[in-house]
Parts: sequence; structure tokens; C-alpha cells
Amino acid sequence: MMTLILGGSGSGKSAYAEDYAVSLSKGMKIYYLATMRAFGREAGQRIARHRTLRSGKGFLTIEQPAAIYKALERMETGEKTVLLECISNLAANEMFEGEMPKGEEAVFKEVANGIARLREEVTHLVVVSNNVFEDGITYDRETMAYIRAMGRINEKLSAMADEVVEVVVGIPLMVKDKKSESRKKRK
Amino acid sequence: MKLIIGGYAQGKLKYAIEKYGLDLRLVWDGELPGDGEIRNAETEFVKERASDGNNINAKGVKMKNSIIAVNHFHNWIKRSLSEGGCPEEEISRFLDRYQSCIIISDEIGNGIIPVEKFEREYRERTGRILVKLAGQAEEVERVICGIGQKIK
Repeated sequence: MMTLILGGSGSGKSAYAEDYAVSLSKGMKIYYLATMRAFGREAGQRIARHRTLRSGKGFLTIEQPAAIYKALERMETGEKTVLLECISNLAANEMFEGEMPKGEEAVFKEVANGIARLREEVTHLVVVSNNVFEDGITYDRETMAYIRAMGRINEKLSAMADEVVEVVVGIPLMVKDKKSESRKKRK
Repeated sequence: MKLIIGGYAQGKLKYAIEKYGLDLRLVWDGELPGDGEIRNAETEFVKERASDGNNINAKGVKMKNSIIAVNHFHNWIKRSLSEGGCPEEEISRFLDRYQSCIIISDEIGNGIIPVEKFEREYRERTGRILVKLAGQAEEVERVICGIGQKIK
């Protein structure tokens, strides 16, 4: 089963996603795929904050800032719940880490295919993504390509997902839920 | 306390005025009023209402009580941070005293992470303050295109 969790910065999406992943895991192994590169003091502080949030919840952390499917090589076989946080870092790493920025299409494919492979292999996949679409600012060409890639990725992931949840001021709002989807299929 | 959130220019204040019969004399814009200010405004308000001889405000909504509201709450957070204040503590003290107020704030976290450190911190802390207020609020409404959705 796959769940996509969306939210803006400071929306409470991480705390919600962690608790949700834990509630799904019911004793199985639970992995946390971390995508943020630990460059600089602020990134260090953000990572530390997230570690504190997760501590005591039983997560096994795998650092996988790019080529996300490779995280599978570091997981044990058997039932597992996987929380991936977050698509906005992963897409930014894929796009901007080479000598030259990669194009929108290449980033979209890399991320969407990677997530599709994870989804095949794990019992529960919970993916956190970011709403980066509503600040009304026109950025430089590369950043606009990044935003478009993020839009396409989110669209693809929400189609793949069994449920989609938007977290607003810490409150989960159902965008797509399992029950209504299975009702649609029966019709 | 009731919390009303939504994007820029979504009609949040108008929604609150129409739904709760707010009177603009008791709505503060981008600031947290002190006790003295609130007392003065309330005294003025009651006096004027009595002299009007009716309980109707500009929008034609019947006034039941005088509700205190803070509009553009995010602007207050930004100013507090820029002055080196601690908005988390200040709002918590304010809500201890005015438990039945309405807080109206823009949602500002749905975009690209800003390059400037201050802007990043402002977004992050505003988001976390709103999460905390939503947790305490008796009701949370999200306004989009002038329409309010009750989300708590």
C-alpha cells in the first residue's frame, strides 16, 4: 500500500507522516529514507530536529539523497514499512547535483520510476512531498523547471498512491482515500 | 479561540465578518493589542453601539457580543521575529487572557524555500505556531475563494 502525504513548510506533515508510518508498521521493520544532504549548519539543525522527532519510534535510517531505489539494497527481506522524506529534497538533489542541472523530464522520470520500484518491493510505502506551488513568485528558469518537475512527480505519485493526505496546520485532510477508490473500482 | 487560515487574498476577513459579525473596531491588523488598547476599544464600541440605538454593524449582521480578532496574524509574527521577539511566548500569553478571540492568518509555507535565512525562519516558525494554535483552537476554518471549509 502507498500513501502520499503533502504539506507546506512547517505544516506538521513530518510529524503526521511518522506517526502514520508507525501505526501501519505493527511490529514489522520500519525504515526511514532520509534525502537531505547534510551541508552547512542549518541543514545540520534541521536533520537534528527530525532525528529528535523520530527518536524512540523505532526507525532504521537509510541516507539516500539520490537514486532512491538503491535504498532497497540496504533493507532486509520480509515485511517492511518505509517512510520516505521528502520528494522536494530528492528532486532538488537529482536536478542540481551534477555539473549541469538535469532537465525537468529526466528528474521526473528518475524520481517517479524510483518510487514505483520502492512501491513494488515494500509492504507499506509512505512518501512525504511538499507543496511548493503557491507562492506566486516567478523564479529563474531552472527553479521554474524544478517546480514543474515537482508538479508532475506529485501528480504521478498521487495516481500511484492508494491514499493521498494533505496536512494543513497539523490537520490531515483526505484528498484521495482507499474506501472511495475501491467504491469507484466496483462501479 | 477560532483559527481562520488560507492563502493571500482569499477573502478571509470578509468571511469572518459575515460569519461571526466582527466589528472592525475590534479587529487589529497585524498586531497583538495590549490589555489597555482592548479595554479602550471595547468601551468605545459599547458606547457607540448604545448611542446607535441598534445592534447592527456595517454588514447588517446582528451583533451578539464583541469578539476580538487579529487579522494578518502572520504579519505580526514577522514583525516580532524581526525585532528579536519570541512570538510563540507572546501569543501564548495573549490567548491565556483572550480565550474567545479569532485569529486570522495567511498560509505562507506553500512555496519554494526562500534563499534568505530570515525568510526561511519566518516561514518555518509561522507554520509551527499555526500548528500549535490549530491544536488549541475550538474550530479551524480554511478559506479558499471566499468559501470556508471547517477542518476542525
